[in-house]
Amino acid sequence: MVFDFFKGGQSTIEEVEKTLVAMMQNARQNYEEAMDAVFGGGKSKSTKKGLKKTDREINLAQQQVRRDLMMHASVSPTMDLAETLAYMSVVKDVERVGDYAKNLYDLAKFGADFTTAEDFEYLARYRDCIGKLIDDAIEVFRARDPEGARELIAEADKYFSEFDDNVKAAFNSDGPASDAVARTLYFRFLKRITAHVMNLLTSLVAPIHRLDYYDEAKDDRVEL
Amino acid sequence: METQSQVAVRRGLKLSGPVRGVLVFALLYLFLVGVKLLESGIEGLGSGFTDTLFQGVSNPLAGLFVGILATVLVQSSSVTTSTIVGLVGTGVLPVAQAVPMIMGANIGTTVTNTIVSLGHIRQSEEFKRAFTAATMHDFFNIIAVAVLLPLELMTRAISGLARLITETIAGGVGGGSFDSPIKGAVKWGASWIEDLLGWVNSDKVAAAFLLIIGVALIFLTLTFITKNMRVLVADRIERSLNAALSKSGTVGIIVGLLVTMAVQSSSITTSILIPLVASGILLVRNAYPITLGANIGTTVTALLAALGTGAIDGLTIAVTHTVFNVLGILLIYPWKKIRYLPVTLAGKLADIAIRRKSLAVGYTLTMFVAIPLAGILILR
Repeated sequence: MVFDFFKGGQSTIEEVEKTLVAMMQNARQNYEEAMDAVFGGGKSKSTKKGLKKTDREINLAQQQVRRDLMMHASVSPTMDLAETLAYMSVVKDVERVGDYAKNLYDLAKFGADFTTAEDFEYLARYRDCIGKLIDDAIEVFRARDPEGARELIAEADKYFSEFDDNVKAAFNSDGPASDAVARTLYFRFLKRITAHVMNLLTSLVAPIHRLDYYDEAKDDRVEL
Repeated sequence: METQSQVAVRRGLKLSGPVRGVLVFALLYLFLVGVKLLESGIEGLGSGFTDTLFQGVSNPLAGLFVGILATVLVQSSSVTTSTIVGLVGTGVLPVAQAVPMIMGANIGTTVTNTIVSLGHIRQSEEFKRAFTAATMHDFFNIIAVAVLLPLELMTRAISGLARLITETIAGGVGGGSFDSPIKGAVKWGASWIEDLLGWVNSDKVAAAFLLIIGVALIFLTLTFITKNMRVLVADRIERSLNAALSKSGTVGIIVGLLVTMAVQSSSITTSILIPLVASGILLVRNAYPITLGANIGTTVTALLAALGTGAIDGLTIAVTHTVFNVLGILLIYPWKKIRYLPVTLAGKLADIAIRRKSLAVGYTLTMFVAIPLAGILILR
């Protein structure tokens, strides 16, 4: 407690990085549980309870990160300034990944079930790809690996136009409205999750003033 | 991967922890040499000069105002109190006259966080919290002085207790000296600088040089000690302040004490609290005990200076500073009915200040510049 003063330990920035990784892992867990619901599991009280609990942990961790960064900025205003500002920004992105995972569960809650879809495997492929993207992003961020971040960002880039194409196809489909809505929201949420995960990675490679522009049109993006 | 600061250390742009630690020890040594040179300079200038210098502060209120103004000018009570310790150590400034100056330094040091709080003036809610946190320190110190200074003048209770403590710990009596473990080493460094001034023909001019070098060394070394220590223990400060975020009372006092002892400046500790309170991370009531702990922690610098002088009277005035701050806390903090009186008064002042923000600037200038200046001019 107070005698922590005499103990050694990690710097605040290192602590914050650990917390961001833990938040991402929680968001990943929520993503998986929500996807299980959408792909056959359906809504359940235990899933809802688990998602809520994990989401609360993510929210509390976000507040802790903000407090820690404010403390760090007050005690050492010029030390790690870029990291402090970047993490203050990207902690919101990490929290949003968790939120969109919850939104995916809402699809199951409203009755969406992709197990009966003709293109089940096509839809499931995106679930797996984005799941792996989150896993890889966690590892790249944990290792503070700029090269890995650049590679992952380039990989994620390919998905954006695919997501938009899928939304457009659902919009123009002649199928039932419930299916079109479910598909539109599914690809929309996946796009948002991907964008927020990539925003986290841009903190490793992009200048501070260009954070958060990842999902903009290509011309507006920063050269990484 | 490394953080920015770790990269800076590796590239040689920034000092590593151990190097900074050694640097702090060297600066601490130079600080003590500065106090010793100040003593030598004062002694060399002779009694005529010093009598004139301190004639004006024989009035205790004038002494109090000198303490406030001097601390406001150098923005550090540590510089003021260390200089006072040096002066008392030479015998030219009696302990009785130095006590009000020490108390004034306590009030003067709060100007720094009040100025920091003015930085939040554009955001009313933030400013209200920041200004309350800053001025509660003013009110606490003013109340403590208002009660303890008359008590000291009537009974010499505070300096008497300090003398008793000093004589018990160090042995010897007032006007004498004690065996300080570092006195010899400090004397060696000081005499080395004194020898460098061998080319000066006049003893008085040489003494004036020593005085100037001494004051400059005290000021500069304390500035750099504070800067380096702040970097050196930044993580520890953050951890211990985090521990005090949601707690009140003793934990806060101990955290304030430890942080201030580490950075050798109560202004740094209390100024760190202002943005935390302004942003709402730290409640004013939880910042309050940290501020009180800082009051005690800052007295360590004068105690170190006294070790360098080796004079019983110098140590007595340094201990007086500690006793005064401890008594100030015991006077107000343990009693529930008056514990938060400084916070309440500061809150009321902040309420007025957010309605008329120019009053906040006016308060700072009046409290820390106009009143002490007028007081010195009238009372000397």
